[in-house]
Amino acid sequence: MSLTRRKLLGAGAAMAGVAVLGGWSLWTGTAGESPLLLSARNDDDGQHYAVGYYLNGKRAFATPVPERCHAVARHPFLPVALYVGRRPARESYLIDLRDGRLLQTLQSQPDRHFYGHAVFHARGEWLYTTENDTREPGRGVLGRYRLDQAALRLIHDGEATTHGVGPHELAWMPDGESLVIGNGGIRTEGGSREEMNLDAMAPSLVIMSRHGELISKETLADAQSSIRHLDVAADGTVITGQQYHGPAYNSVPLLAIKRPGEAYQPFPVSRAQLAMMDQYTASIAIHSEQRQVAMTAPRGNRFFIWDLDSGDTLLDAPMSDCAGVGAVPGGFAVTSGQGKCRYYDSRTADVQSQWLELPGGWWDNHLWLS
Amino acid sequence: MRALSVLVSVSLSVLLVACSNPRQEVTVQLANDVLLPAHQQWRDSNAALVDAVETYCAAPQASVDDLETAFYQAQSRWSHLQPLMVGPLSEGNRSWQVQFWPDKRNMVVRQTESLLDETDSLTREQLEKASVVVQGLTAFEYVLFDQSVALAQSHDRYCPLLTGIARHQLALSESVLALWNEPGGMLAQLRDFPNERYATAEEGLAAILRTQITGVDVLKKKLGTPMGRLNQGVVQPYQAEAWRSRQSIENLQASLQGAQAVWERVRSLVSDAALVKDIDQAYADVANQLAALPAPLMELVQAPANSETLTTLYAALDNLENRQQTELARNLNIQIGFNANDGD
Repeated sequence: MSLTRRKLLGAGAAMAGVAVLGGWSLWTGTAGESPLLLSARNDDDGQHYAVGYYLNGKRAFATPVPERCHAVARHPFLPVALYVGRRPARESYLIDLRDGRLLQTLQSQPDRHFYGHAVFHARGEWLYTTENDTREPGRGVLGRYRLDQAALRLIHDGEATTHGVGPHELAWMPDGESLVIGNGGIRTEGGSREEMNLDAMAPSLVIMSRHGELISKETLADAQSSIRHLDVAADGTVITGQQYHGPAYNSVPLLAIKRPGEAYQPFPVSRAQLAMMDQYTASIAIHSEQRQVAMTAPRGNRFFIWDLDSGDTLLDAPMSDCAGVGAVPGGFAVTSGQGKCRYYDSRTADVQSQWLELPGGWWDNHLWLS
Repeated sequence: MRALSVLVSVSLSVLLVACSNPRQEVTVQLANDVLLPAHQQWRDSNAALVDAVETYCAAPQASVDDLETAFYQAQSRWSHLQPLMVGPLSEGNRSWQVQFWPDKRNMVVRQTESLLDETDSLTREQLEKASVVVQGLTAFEYVLFDQSVALAQSHDRYCPLLTGIARHQLALSESVLALWNEPGGMLAQLRDFPNERYATAEEGLAAILRTQITGVDVLKKKLGTPMGRLNQGVVQPYQAEAWRSRQSIENLQASLQGAQAVWERVRSLVSDAALVKDIDQAYADVANQLAALPAPLMELVQAPANSETLTTLYAALDNLENRQQTELARNLNIQIGFNANDGD
């Protein structure tokens, strides 16, 4: 039986029903729904999976996939998601969220590899990915794919430049038509993860139309700070997380902010907090309703929540190999590469933590909550 | 009231389970009997270093022997601690303040001399504001042992720095110890579960083992770097840790003993007797080979005749690391590495 868009739309409703049945007692304020967490994950033997778990611990699916994935792009209304191959992957996986069935192995184009991140356009027809041009290593490419909603297949349709080197995460600006992209500035050869230009990095934060036109391109003072991960608030405020490739003992800004109409600049973080990050930030999530930003620092085993507007610290807590973070009602859900996952209730300044009944460890650095 | 009594009985049963949980017992033993004492001994050696440097600098004609002995001891305690520094010392760039290694560009010499050139008599505040490069044992070692420094004739220039470094080390170690001992601090986090840091004793034990295995990996780097393993086989004697004090091998031994102290406690949890025997043997192999080395490491690496001996030692360390990282981790069902070591 072939899947159709109509059937999948029905399935989406059924899935929401399962979520209600699952229930998550913490969130009685949101009709008791337990959000579905999508992420890449490994098992103890190193097998890679595309997984979906409800936050109450109930497993929706765990689909073995050949390549390790990084981030997940959920379709806006169909219960499908693309699990994006981690650089320098040549494959990404389109998964049916009802049962985890692999719908399509999306191959990268010749002379391209995926960089681990993608987004679906709100109308559901287009998917955009960050990719590397391996003929001109490091040249950032925005891959464009059309979703054939009848056949449920992604078809490469074209590409544009990301106006920078080594693009990584991308996200929609509030207009839903322009994208903000972290060009990490690092050149890697095809098939390799080895950095080739740490002495001549060129990171940039680019805002561009999904059709390719450059809207803005900004840089930070330190060229060895690779701009990699980001999130966008409902009002268009962008927060980015950097990874610093200079000496381990230097103190450089690792978060930056671009408020609407303002210049891109470091987000105010104390030197003591920067020192706890081990020069490495992983996942960024903005909670637009609560005007908060959360960030994982897996090498420093540290998780943070700040007030988006004042920069005040709400939480600065140890958490082993904290990985993906996502906004949920009342706060944030955080996965871990090595330990148990957590929910942080940050509705008040006295942030409360609760362990989640999800499997511990082996979660990759990003998650999608829906 | 009924709800409360249910809660109490559940808590009691959790407590009973906890008391009979061997992994929790081992974790608590490690914290109380191995990790905390190692931090205290490190602190004590820094206090002795402060005393020794103050005595030396107060008497222009004093012998440097006692100061050297105190330095060896501080360096040894720090080496012993490295495979055990789970928690505060491994966070916040603190360990860089203790030692600046590897020093690929000889920054310790340049920054130390330039700091002293810029200041008449270095104050504590000036040292605190300076780079970590000049705050730790590596800068201290340079002043004490480098042949280019005429310390006996230059007390005015170097004593404020030596005193400042020793006091900085003492303050640092006391602040780390306070983070261990404070209510809800590191010691409590390795004793009472769940807590802010660990959901279970299992997670605490995994963190200790990861630190210890990382420590063994660092031993490989400390041996392999002067051997030229990262330099296409071209030896780098001046990249040996502690080459100026000729203490590289003694430091490796101290670190190995620190790592072994963890293994001694973890051994009882291993279900495979053959694996226990293999790991015991792996520690013995490394220890015996280290003890048999006839000269300081920076001298050994320069004589091609020693190449085979050092390569065999490196292989023994590699074997020890692999036994723990793969077989021990699998036997205990403890996950060692993931994103933090291979991020994106």
